[in-house]
Amino acid sequence: MNPHTDVPPAPPARPGGRTGTGPTLTVLAGERASGALLCEAGTVYLSEGRVVHAESPVAPGIDVLLTTGGRLTAETWREAVGHTDGPGGVGRFLVDTGRLSDAELEICHLGALFDAAYFALGTGTGPRGFQRDAAHWLGPVRPVGADAVERETRRRGRLLDDLWPCPQVDTAPVVLRSPDPRSPAVTRRQRAVLELADGVRTPADIARCLGRPAFHTLIDIRRLAAAGHVETPRPQATAPPARSPGPGAVVWPDTVPDTVFADPGIDLLRRLRDALEATL
Amino acid sequence: MANTQTALKEAMTTIEGSLGVALVDYSSGMALGTVGGGKELDLTVAAAGNTDVVRAKVRTMEQLGLKDGIEDILITLDSQYHLIRLLKGRDSQGLFLYLALDKNRANLAMARHQLRKIEGDLEV
Repeated sequence: MNPHTDVPPAPPARPGGRTGTGPTLTVLAGERASGALLCEAGTVYLSEGRVVHAESPVAPGIDVLLTTGGRLTAETWREAVGHTDGPGGVGRFLVDTGRLSDAELEICHLGALFDAAYFALGTGTGPRGFQRDAAHWLGPVRPVGADAVERETRRRGRLLDDLWPCPQVDTAPVVLRSPDPRSPAVTRRQRAVLELADGVRTPADIARCLGRPAFHTLIDIRRLAAAGHVETPRPQATAPPARSPGPGAVVWPDTVPDTVFADPGIDLLRRLRDALEATL
Repeated sequence: MANTQTALKEAMTTIEGSLGVALVDYSSGMALGTVGGGKELDLTVAAAGNTDVVRAKVRTMEQLGLKDGIEDILITLDSQYHLIRLLKGRDSQGLFLYLALDKNRANLAMARHQLRKIEGDLEV
């Protein structure tokens, strides 16, 4: 049951990314297990087989979403954390003192849960181990069925692939490029992302700065990359294994990316797509 | 101070003719909560699909240079109304309420009014 420390580079993951050495979420849910499912890119917490929380170093936590998003001051959050006596204390304290409504706490928590679960379960090499009876300090807010989490994780993977099937933009520093004048307009939310793109920050850094879920920022980044507002780096052979496309997604043959994603090719593809969109 | 499920249930019971209601996160297209729906109306699919509707409208308004906000979007089918209400006051999150109504039983003006009230209950 110990988490493995030297997991060999995994083969391309199956949809949902579960090729790890640990037990899968479905199995644990079937056993009505409680504890922490440790994955390469995050941890999923279960209570009696239901998912109560998830966290990932890539995804901003509920504290960041609430404070950077402007809903609470950092002071209020610290006060709430300081007042906790037992699990579930932080959320209860915030609701009981009128700082947050029940609905806001739930919505924000669910947002953070599904966001982190996508990175934990949908990217990387899958589960590595299970720590039985480990609980998250936040305590349960609104548990979610494991099947719902799995389904949503797969849906998110497909959604990203449909937008722009280049997973390397998810982790690389975001580099601006001058777009084709006919590119789709940038929305206000996307503009905020572009303003933080300095060639150093990754999408995860930008999400943290904005206090937005990381997956939402990936959606913006993929759309911006597809529209040519940010660079799509060439896929690197040494990059960590990326989430594999779900069923029905576009699968590029191994030899194609180097040639297709070279710069002239990308403009050609974009013109081709514009032409197709104009005629269909 | 309702929680999400209570607020959605209230929408179902107080709004005449409602077939289903969902609270949707419009960036990811995920339904954060659903009540009603069924075989004829899969609310999670409707939620994901309708984020494209909202996004297209937001983008069009940007292109037109309209600095206005969207209060709601109404889609009229032969037998149903679909009402999308964008939640205010939490710009960073981007949520909308999605309500499907039976056209024969629903009072559209009342439904819009009550949906506004339920948005208030969510205090988002």
